[in-house]
Amino acid sequence: MKLAVEAHGLSKSYGPLRAVDGLELEVPAGIVLGFLGPNGAGKTTAIRMLTTILSPTAGSFSVAGVPHTRPIEIRSRIGVLPESAGYPDSQTGEEFLRYHARLFGHSRSSARDTSAVLLDEVGLASRGRTFIGGYSRGMRQRLGIARALVNNPEVVFLDEPTLGLDPAGQRQMLDLVQRITKERGATVLLSTHLLAEVEEVCSQVVILNRGRVVAEGTVAEVARQAAAPRRARLRVAPDRTAPALAALSDGGKLTAAELRPGELELTFSAEADPEAMSGEAFQRLLSAEVPVLGFELEGGRLSDAFLAMTESA
Amino acid sequence: MSAITARPVKRAWPLVAEQELRDLWLAGRGLPLIFAYSLLLSVITYLVATNTALNFLEQRESVNLTLQVAVAAGSLLVLLGAADAISGERERGTLESLLLSPATRLSLVVGKGIAALSIWVAAFLVAIPYLSFLGRGVGVVGLAIGNGLLVGVLLALFLAGLGLLMSALSSSNRFSLSVALFVLLALFAPTQLPSGAQQSWVGDLLLRIDPISSGLHYLGKVIVDGHSAGQELSWLIGPAVAAALAVTAALAASRWLNLRGGPS
Repeated sequence: MKLAVEAHGLSKSYGPLRAVDGLELEVPAGIVLGFLGPNGAGKTTAIRMLTTILSPTAGSFSVAGVPHTRPIEIRSRIGVLPESAGYPDSQTGEEFLRYHARLFGHSRSSARDTSAVLLDEVGLASRGRTFIGGYSRGMRQRLGIARALVNNPEVVFLDEPTLGLDPAGQRQMLDLVQRITKERGATVLLSTHLLAEVEEVCSQVVILNRGRVVAEGTVAEVARQAAAPRRARLRVAPDRTAPALAALSDGGKLTAAELRPGELELTFSAEADPEAMSGEAFQRLLSAEVPVLGFELEGGRLSDAFLAMTESA
Repeated sequence: MSAITARPVKRAWPLVAEQELRDLWLAGRGLPLIFAYSLLLSVITYLVATNTALNFLEQRESVNLTLQVAVAAGSLLVLLGAADAISGERERGTLESLLLSPATRLSLVVGKGIAALSIWVAAFLVAIPYLSFLGRGVGVVGLAIGNGLLVGVLLALFLAGLGLLMSALSSSNRFSLSVALFVLLALFAPTQLPSGAQQSWVGDLLLRIDPISSGLHYLGKVIVDGHSAGQELSWLIGPAVAAALAVTAALAASRWLNLRGGPS
């Protein structure tokens, strides 16, 4: 398996404070990795080390196969949208992209073409000649994404790209993230607080707390690892509530209770396998000719795992 | 999304310098600063010309006085530009994008240094008509421009290096500007020593090791007293050494250029 990012024992201390503490990370190429953690967990510090902006106190890493001892080479292969990035108000979006494209080695004409293509891709083609000072927060973030792509990077680091954006802006940003992976084949490391967007776009997640990795794997694995579901909500037609209750309540591993007509709460005993029991419940409802209108396992979501892991650690 | 390829950039400092010059002169503070500078020179020239007409000042003295003001004020502008160059980007949050590019830290500092020095070039060009007006008829204009350029370049290099050093190391723009200005004012202090104190060996030593005092002293000796440049060359040792040290220190500090200021 080709790794896009690899870190071993990566640490960063500020005096007595250990912002990142022995980070171990292996990110396969071509995926979107959700990099999660509460405020102060060390996400931004970790990203800054991996993008060679900060020197680690200890440990080693490689990005796109380039060891950390060659920072300039790493920077030429990555794209980064920093957290709270600033933009020069007196430059136009086009000028800003052209400058950065040239810093990454584009010729004058190639930089001009690149900036035009990228502005179009992030939906800023019509505002390319406007001063950045007049851009909204969402436009600035999209410009930042365009800047991160000027060198056609192998690995893209996005630190809180949806911070401060309205729902429409968040939607646009998520679409961009998905396109970066699908159309460019780049690996994306996405740091965010919005767990719903992680569940939507990320194939793997890492949860960081107090500078350490407390969970990693696919979204389902992490959710299961942290908070195995013990309850579920079931919706049936209101007039089918009684047959559903009769079919489900066996007094053993599964109990069912009516919350209101048409809505039931299922509780799994501690020794029961929730997924197997859910399947069995469906079988019983099928046998009793009760159509299922809705079913949701509680405590099996990424948000539950996030809270469980970051509160208990 | 289309694939766009880039080659690693070999020498980024010309690109950085080009963008910095554009930002400074087309959209930044360059033009307002030079406008204020030209107003100052206009006032000084008017006062000096009036005094010369009333025979309170020799024509050579009036040229020297105006040249000294031009060199000192031009250097101050260079210091302001350099001290803002990195810490200003740090405060505005734009430094991180530059540090994320494959351009070396050294090329960023060199590019920004060139932009700061351009302020001196502009200031000196503005001063030339004033010097020409005051020195007409006594054959001192060429001498003043040549020596003013020499001293000014040395002082501009010194103050650009000092400003960049402060800017690279400090986490706050206000701090870097304050420290740089304080150092500049301290360097002007020996020029205010009474003439008796200046003639003692301590005063002489102070004048010689202080790059600004010794540079201005050199100009006075060559333009007013009519000494040859070779005769007074020893007065340029201070500015030359200071320029070399400050520029070297600023270039060396580029190794530690980071987001927070100070060594990483």
